[in-house]
This record gives sequence, C-alpha cells and structure tokens, in this order.
Amino acid sequence: MSTFVIGFYTILIAASAGLAYFKQDRWFMMIFSLTLISFITGIIGGAQALRSIAIFVALLAAAAGVSYTFKEFLIRIASPNVAKELRTAPLTAAFGMFVIFTYAIAGIFAPIIAPFGEAEVISSAFAPADANMLLGADQLGRDIFSRIIFGARNSVGIALMATMLAFISGALAGLLAAVKGGWFDQLMGRLADVIMSIPSLIFSLLMLSIFGTNMTVIVIVVAIIYSPRVFRLTRAVAGNIVVMDYVEAAKLRGEGDWYLVRREILPNSTAPLVAEFGLEFCFVFLLIAGLSFLGLGIQPPTADWGSMVRENATLISFGDITPLIPAAAIALLTVAVNFVVDWMLFRSSGLKEQ
Amino acid sequence: MGDLLTLVAKRLGYGLLTLLVVSILIFFAVELLPGDTAQAILGQSATPDTVAALREELGLNQPAYIRYFDWLFGAIRGDLGVSAIPPHQPVISVIGPRFTHTLFLAAYAAVIAVPVAISLGVIVALLRNTVFDRVANVLTLTSISSPEFFLGYILILIFAVKIPIFPALATVPTDVSFGELLYRTFLPALTLVLVVTAHMMRMTRAAIINLLASPYIEMARLKGVPPWKVIVKHALPNAWAPIINVVALNLAYLVTGVVLVEVVFVYPGVGQLLVDAVSKRNFPVVQAVSLIFAATFILLNLAADVGSILTNPRLRHPK
Repeated sequence: MSTFVIGFYTILIAASAGLAYFKQDRWFMMIFSLTLISFITGIIGGAQALRSIAIFVALLAAAAGVSYTFKEFLIRIASPNVAKELRTAPLTAAFGMFVIFTYAIAGIFAPIIAPFGEAEVISSAFAPADANMLLGADQLGRDIFSRIIFGARNSVGIALMATMLAFISGALAGLLAAVKGGWFDQLMGRLADVIMSIPSLIFSLLMLSIFGTNMTVIVIVVAIIYSPRVFRLTRAVAGNIVVMDYVEAAKLRGEGDWYLVRREILPNSTAPLVAEFGLEFCFVFLLIAGLSFLGLGIQPPTADWGSMVRENATLISFGDITPLIPAAAIALLTVAVNFVVDWMLFRSSGLKEQ
Repeated sequence: MGDLLTLVAKRLGYGLLTLLVVSILIFFAVELLPGDTAQAILGQSATPDTVAALREELGLNQPAYIRYFDWLFGAIRGDLGVSAIPPHQPVISVIGPRFTHTLFLAAYAAVIAVPVAISLGVIVALLRNTVFDRVANVLTLTSISSPEFFLGYILILIFAVKIPIFPALATVPTDVSFGELLYRTFLPALTLVLVVTAHMMRMTRAAIINLLASPYIEMARLKGVPPWKVIVKHALPNAWAPIINVVALNLAYLVTGVVLVEVVFVYPGVGQLLVDAVSKRNFPVVQAVSLIFAATFILLNLAADVGSILTNPRLRHPK
C-alpha cells in the first residue's frame, strides 16, 4: 500500500461521507459507486489502474471547471438577452462552445502559434519529442505539433466551406420548392432521393476518381452529397410556414417569391436551420477526414488531420499515441459541435421529450 | 390484404427505379471525363497504339448508350467487364472473393451489434433522464462523433500493442477454420460494432420514448395492465416498425463504414479494392464496386420500408 493508494481511498470515502451527511443524494451515489468500482479495479489492476482512474476523474473535473468558467465569462460579456439564453446552457454545451472557440483561435492564428511551418523539414524522420519539438517529428521530419495547429486551419476550413456551399444550395432549393411547389418541387425531391440513395463515401470516391483530388472538387462533391439533407429539412420547415395566414397575406399583396423567402419564411425557420448547420458540419467534417485518411482528400504537403493519421500510423505498432492526436482532434471537435447542437435543438423545442 | 400488397409492390417498383437511375448516374459519370477514357487511364505518355488497344479492350468505340445497356445487362448476368489495368482480369473474379470477405465482416458486426444495441436502447429509454441515461448519451455521442479510423487505431493500440491478445492486421489466409477467422477479424468487427451500436441505441431510445408517450400506452397503464404486459402486448406491436427501420438503416450504414475499417486493418475486402481502384483510376472496377455498394444500400433501405409496412398493425388489420 503506497501513500497514493491510501490517499486515493481516503479522499473518496471522505467525500462520499461528506456528501451523504449534507444529503447531496445524486452526488453521493456517483462518488460512492466510483469508490466501489475503484475497490474492484484496485484489486484487479493494482495502483496503476487507480492512478488512471484518478487522472480520468481529474480531467473530467478540469473540463467541467473550464466549461463553467467559460460559460460565466460568456454571460458577462454578452448582451442581456443573449446572457439570459446562455444561463440555460448545460455544462456540456458550454464545453462544446469552449472547444469550438479554442479551435477557432488555433485556426485563425496558426502561423503565429505554430513554432514551425507546415511543410518545413526540421529533423530526421520520426525523431522523438525534445525541447524543440513538443510531439516529435513525422515521417518526413516535420514538426507534428505545428502540423496539428495548421491542420485546424486546413481541415476545418475546407469542411466549413463545403458545409456552407451545401447549406446555401440546399436551403435555397428547399425554400424555392416550398414556395413554388409543382414540378420544381417534384423534380428537386426526386433528385434528392437519388443522391441520398447512394452511400456518401462511395459517391464521393466515384466522383473523386473521375475529377481527380483537388480542393475545389472535394468541396463541390461533398456539397452535392450533403445538400439533399438540408433540402429536405428546409422544405419540411418552410412547408409548414407557407400555409400560414401572413404568407397568404403577403402573396395577396403581390409580393414576389424572393420577398416571401427572404422576409416571411427565412426569419421564422432560423432555429432548426442553425441546428442543422451544426449537424451537417459534423457529417461533412467526418467524410472529408475519412477521404483524407484514405489518401484521396486534401493532398500533401498541406497539413491535414486525416492524412496525418495515415502517414504516421506505423508509430502505433510501437505503442506511440502521437498519430492518434489528430484523430482525437477530429473527434473532439465533432463531439463539441454535437453538444452545442443538442442544446440548441432542445431550446428550439424541436426534440423536447416529456 | 390487397392494400398491403399494392403498397409493398409500389415500394418495390420505386426501389428498382432508383437503382436504375443510380446505375445510369454511375455509368455516365465516367463519361464526364474530359477527353478520352483510355487516354485518362494510361496517362499522357501512352503511345497512340496502346491507347487504341485499350479502347478496343474496353469497347470504347461504340456510342455511350449502347455501352450502357451492354454494361447493365452484363451486370445483371454477373459480367462486370474487365479491369482496365493489366492483366485485365474479369472484374467479377476480382470482386467475388473480396465481396464475401466484406459481407462476412459486416454480418459478424451485425450479429453482435443488433441484439446489444436494441436491448440497451430499450433499457436506456426506460431509465430516461437518470444518470445512467446521461452517461450513455455522452458515450454514444462520442462514439458516433469519432472517425472510424480513430476507434480502429485505439483498439489496435489497446488490444494488439499494449495487451497483445488480438492480431493488429486482419489478414485472412485461404485455409483457416471458422473459429480462427472469427478471432482474426475480431478487432475490425468490434470497431464496426462500436459505431453501429451507438447509432442504433440512440435511434431505438428515441423510437421507444416516442411510443411510450402515446395516449394508448397511458390508457393501458391507467386501467391496471401489468407493466410487462404493457410492453409486450401494447408497445411491442407498434415498436416493430421503428426497430426494423433502425436495424436496416444501420446495416446500410455498415456498408459504408466498412471501407475505412478495411483500410485500417488491411482486411482484403471490397472497400480496399475500391480505394485502390480510385487511386489507380481503374474505372471498370470503380463502377462495379460503386454499383454493388449502392445496390446493397438501396436494397437494405427497401427492406426497411417493406418490413415496416408489413409489421404495421394499422395496415395489417384494416377496419
């Protein structure tokens, strides 16, 4: 029994006793079940397992603390109306916003933050980490840390562009289909059906094999693949608004289709559309990451998370986790966006459960 | 019963039509290539003679619509043309054995994932808004948000490098026993299981919660029906449709997810073949594999719709 193990159990048991005394039932149940779980893992895995539990709990607590303070910070700098909304945000949503904020900073200021250029060869291949290179070098001797920072700009940037293109074309087609109806609606609907009936990864691989792999092609192909989702949602949301009396009134006033879309329908359908934008971004981001991982997405020497995983994958068989960091960066951003979207969906009561 | 059959027939017809349109799209997309297909495959340095030979080989001297019908009827008979890369094997003999491997992997994952996901989904729905539900929500969300290759490499790191109990690469020699095969492909199957289970759990949870909120369940509870009977007699008949939908949608999702997982584990399936063919611009193979994937995807979606029509009590017992 080392001092660490004794300290570990003392803190847990003291914490659960304290919580039970002050009748914090939910927290007590959580902390005490953690104590029971650590008894079992401690017997099986020894001090090493307890240490990983402690690290995990500490990370969780740190994340919660950061999210809470970031939320309070946002509430203080936001206007009163926005602040009122922000107060209802759960901790997960605050965490999501913090992560998105961090990525945005990393992406925008990449050349200032990164110690080396994204294609700069500074040492030998797979050199281990030292004072100069935080995470070591990749297969060509470039600094992995700098490339991860630049990846925030390239991978997220291209996904954002594709999402915006998909969103604008899909939403425009959906709004027009709802307003015009008739053959245009039918044609667009069937077109969306066909595109959605081909698996997205397969469709993009087919297109990339034909048009070659460059950024423009990727953005356009991915936008075409994901615009039908936006189209269907917009069509459904706008379809409910078009039948409202005030739209009827505007039509009788003699307003054109464009006016109806811009002034009557769009302002009333923003909430679900904004949430859909977040979800759409996740799909697009994961698809492009997958393509890059297959070596068919963003091409070298541009730093990109998906291709970085592929290039350094050999390190994994030596037990090195560096190649997993870019993959984790992808997962973290997607989770963060999902957390924020969950909150927004709940707020706009689209998914409110009893 | 007449109405039901018409509905199913309509849906089947619509599915076949979609498949036809998709086949047209896949075939004519390659026609969009700037210039000549044979030239594009061989590159700029090819001599006119070799280009002409390849044109002859691929039958490019005929008009596009004739080649389309040749290709389509060939595909129905199981003849998918010849590979554009020497030694010009028939595409079907390249795809055949690999497709069995892919189907095996997908089936392996499905057999584990479906029962686990549905039972967990129902449990989470019954325990909704508890700590257990919240934790499950965060975990499934993380699993869905992670790229397949991330999950795959984490599993390799833990179960093949740190604790070496499973092989990191899922190579499949021709003569291995079934048990050995299951052991060798365990990690790729587990990766797929993690992704698909998360999806299915969330969808099952949503479907069940939707159902339990409906007035007739409330009515059954109020008149004193025992809880298990509420689930079995009242909820389940209506739950089949959403559950079948969930399962079929996720099996369709497996078809796409399998590509990335095959590359991570160097598993000899169709996905790897597709990626390889795309980077070598081997169009006959790309077209054939795309058609097979698209057909599987459409058929599974079709099965989902037909299944939910057939199990819908309102349609089965019309007034």
